[in-house]
Amino acid sequence: MTRHLLRLIWNRKRQNFLLTVEIFFSFLTLFGVVLIAMQYANNARHPVGYQIARVWSIGVDRKEPAGDPAVRARHRETYDQLVRALGDMPEIEVVAAGFTGPYSNSNWGSGTDLTGGRNVNFGVNSVTDGYRDLFDIPIAEGRWFSREDDAATWKPVVINRRLAHQIFGEGNAVGQIIPEAPDRDDPDPASAAKRLSKRIVGVIDEFRQDGELSAPQNYLFYRMRLDSADPEANLPERIFVRLRPGTPASFEESLVKRAMAVAGSWSFEVEAVEDMRTDKLRSYTTPLMVVGTIAGFLLLMVALGLTGVVWQSVTQRIREFGLRRAKGATIPNVRVQVLSEIALMTSLAVVAAVILLAQVPLLPLPRDLTGIPASVFMASIVVTVIAIYVLTLACGWQPSRLATRIQPAEALHYE
Amino acid sequence: MVRHYLVLAVKVLLRRKFFTFISLFGISFTLLVLTVVAAFFDHAFGPGQEEPRQARTLYVERTLMYGPHSTSGSSGGFRLFDRYARDLPGLERLSLHENTHTVHTYLDGKKISSALKRTDDEYWRILEFRFVEGTSFGTADVAEARFVAVINMATRDRIFGGRPALGQTLEADGQRFRVIGVVENVSSLRTVPYADIWVPYTTAKTDAFKREITGGWNAMALAKDKASMAAIHEEFNSRLLRVELPDPKDYQALVAPFETRLASFARDMPLADRKDPESQVWRFVGLLTLLGLLFVLVPAVNLVNINISRIMERASEIGVRKAFGAPARTLVGQFLVENILLTVIGGAVGFVLSIFVLQAITDSGLFTYARFTINLRVFGWGMAFAVLFGLISGVYPAWRMSRLNPVQALKGGSR
Repeated sequence: MTRHLLRLIWNRKRQNFLLTVEIFFSFLTLFGVVLIAMQYANNARHPVGYQIARVWSIGVDRKEPAGDPAVRARHRETYDQLVRALGDMPEIEVVAAGFTGPYSNSNWGSGTDLTGGRNVNFGVNSVTDGYRDLFDIPIAEGRWFSREDDAATWKPVVINRRLAHQIFGEGNAVGQIIPEAPDRDDPDPASAAKRLSKRIVGVIDEFRQDGELSAPQNYLFYRMRLDSADPEANLPERIFVRLRPGTPASFEESLVKRAMAVAGSWSFEVEAVEDMRTDKLRSYTTPLMVVGTIAGFLLLMVALGLTGVVWQSVTQRIREFGLRRAKGATIPNVRVQVLSEIALMTSLAVVAAVILLAQVPLLPLPRDLTGIPASVFMASIVVTVIAIYVLTLACGWQPSRLATRIQPAEALHYE
Repeated sequence: MVRHYLVLAVKVLLRRKFFTFISLFGISFTLLVLTVVAAFFDHAFGPGQEEPRQARTLYVERTLMYGPHSTSGSSGGFRLFDRYARDLPGLERLSLHENTHTVHTYLDGKKISSALKRTDDEYWRILEFRFVEGTSFGTADVAEARFVAVINMATRDRIFGGRPALGQTLEADGQRFRVIGVVENVSSLRTVPYADIWVPYTTAKTDAFKREITGGWNAMALAKDKASMAAIHEEFNSRLLRVELPDPKDYQALVAPFETRLASFARDMPLADRKDPESQVWRFVGLLTLLGLLFVLVPAVNLVNINISRIMERASEIGVRKAFGAPARTLVGQFLVENILLTVIGGAVGFVLSIFVLQAITDSGLFTYARFTINLRVFGWGMAFAVLFGLISGVYPAWRMSRLNPVQALKGGSR
């Protein structure tokens, strides 16, 4: 039976080839949308690793570059005063400062070569001791930064579990020094000695800076001190405050006035982290919705076109079906024939598309770049395959009824 | 003859309404998307209301510093333009202005955010704003750092309740300005003229920016005539070689070309070679064309399939014409005319639909103050797309049609 169908398809190869091409491209289009949607859905299942209720982020514009050590020292002192002044306000529960925070658009990425030649990449942040309390970040092992680290002769760092696993495998990470290879680009031993080793004081579950729809990434926190004597040490770019429950939104004005009183020449941009979250999520979903709408219309167009073409070819082959029925084929037999032909063409397109897509995981792309787990990739293929079969068979449904509506005797001399 | 083809085409289209509907649906949707994209580009890069002299204006909006290990992109600094661009040959006017900053005004406990831009006086001479009240600030206002501001109508509505604002005082970022002009809103996609509030750059809180080579500033050069544009571009590029870079250890070269806005946008796209600004426009346009062709592929194959079905249905008509001696060329021509008629009708439907879609995007407020409209240029693009699409999807079916064997065709055979 299948061989016979194949021959029938082969006889109409030109037209069937174009139909197959059309199904092939529809498959790829649908797959793209399904893959992104599945990736988002998969990401959203995992916790982000922080709480943002009642937290405001204050972006600071210092209006003056701090390359000069004297300016840097002055800025650091102003930050110290700012954090103290805000902490004294009765409406504020906790204050912390840092380079960046949840749902913010500023990112700091870094990577390092481990001894043994492996390379790890991670997102970086540099924060004050109050940051953990403010965002309620659960500690998995070890501890968060504290005054204990003041006298350290190494760089204390806190990393997330994923990074700890990548560096140390199943072994314990707390208390370990990250085994970094010497900098290849800077062979000068003096500067190599100056580079402090990073010692892990704690491991957190997770810190997904870009929120629930982002792909999970490695993360590393440095400790930031506003009373640091080191002129090279980093300065914060943002201050975070958590308000006492019931503080009205209008408190923002007094907050900015208080900050201006300490640093009059700086500018402050206050935003509730909840609002930043809304914007961030929208930046993920809006492109998907636009692409999804366009893909939806494309598929609708293909579905209508396919229905039309199958309809037309069925009308043309009425005599052929009449002959089959005259020779004893039942109505379901003929319908199965029409639908099997469509299913076969769909299978050809699907096989070609899946073979093409199977090359993607084989490409030498770094895993961090795609961030798409193999399971999500496979699941997207399965969902797309099912959807395409449903779509094409649905398109053949009405025409296949048409093929059997006419009586065999009439069909045999149908023009 | 063409008139005869057209009459015949309309008859054929009306005979099989379902097929015609499917074709028109696909064509109008495809051309709808293309027209919306064209309208976006026209809105962002075409000659605009505020930039009537755009044809002889060049901008530096994006600069790039690079060295062996690092690259750093930002806008240029005040000193870069102030020191190296003022006396460029062929220059009629040069304006230096800052990127917009978000500033906040607190009004009865409510926060009003506005985009503030600090500019010089030349800015108002190169651009043409439509003033509703008052006028812009001039050379004396800038030289004496007067705290005056031009605002747009949206800001007048938000802060002054839509009443005349001339002479009123406005508080922004802790500074107080006197309103001396009100202009119509400018779309946020026109990055150079866009802002809510414009103030003299000399009112900045510190003058640290005057020492900076990169960061925060844009230059806009009005050339004496079109021929001088190349000279401005070349001369500034050669002067860049002697700019002292702030961090000579990390960065050895600076890319900051005077270029058109499209070129500057193209240089910021993924896959662009940012260090080589010269060829980026063509690369970008090429990439867009490729994406456009990929997008058109599915609808085109769909339409080809439908067209072939339609031809097979008319096999006996074609057989008669061939038997009476019509050459293949005539038949191909006839079918192309039919198909282009169909795509132009579809294009017109898509064009009307695109007016509604653009209105919906305008109303959504996704792009601040942007009013997407259809003009003659966009209409021209839409029609060009329609004819091109008609050709792409019509050639293959027409060729198939011309090759039908007259004897078989007369019998209604199809193979």
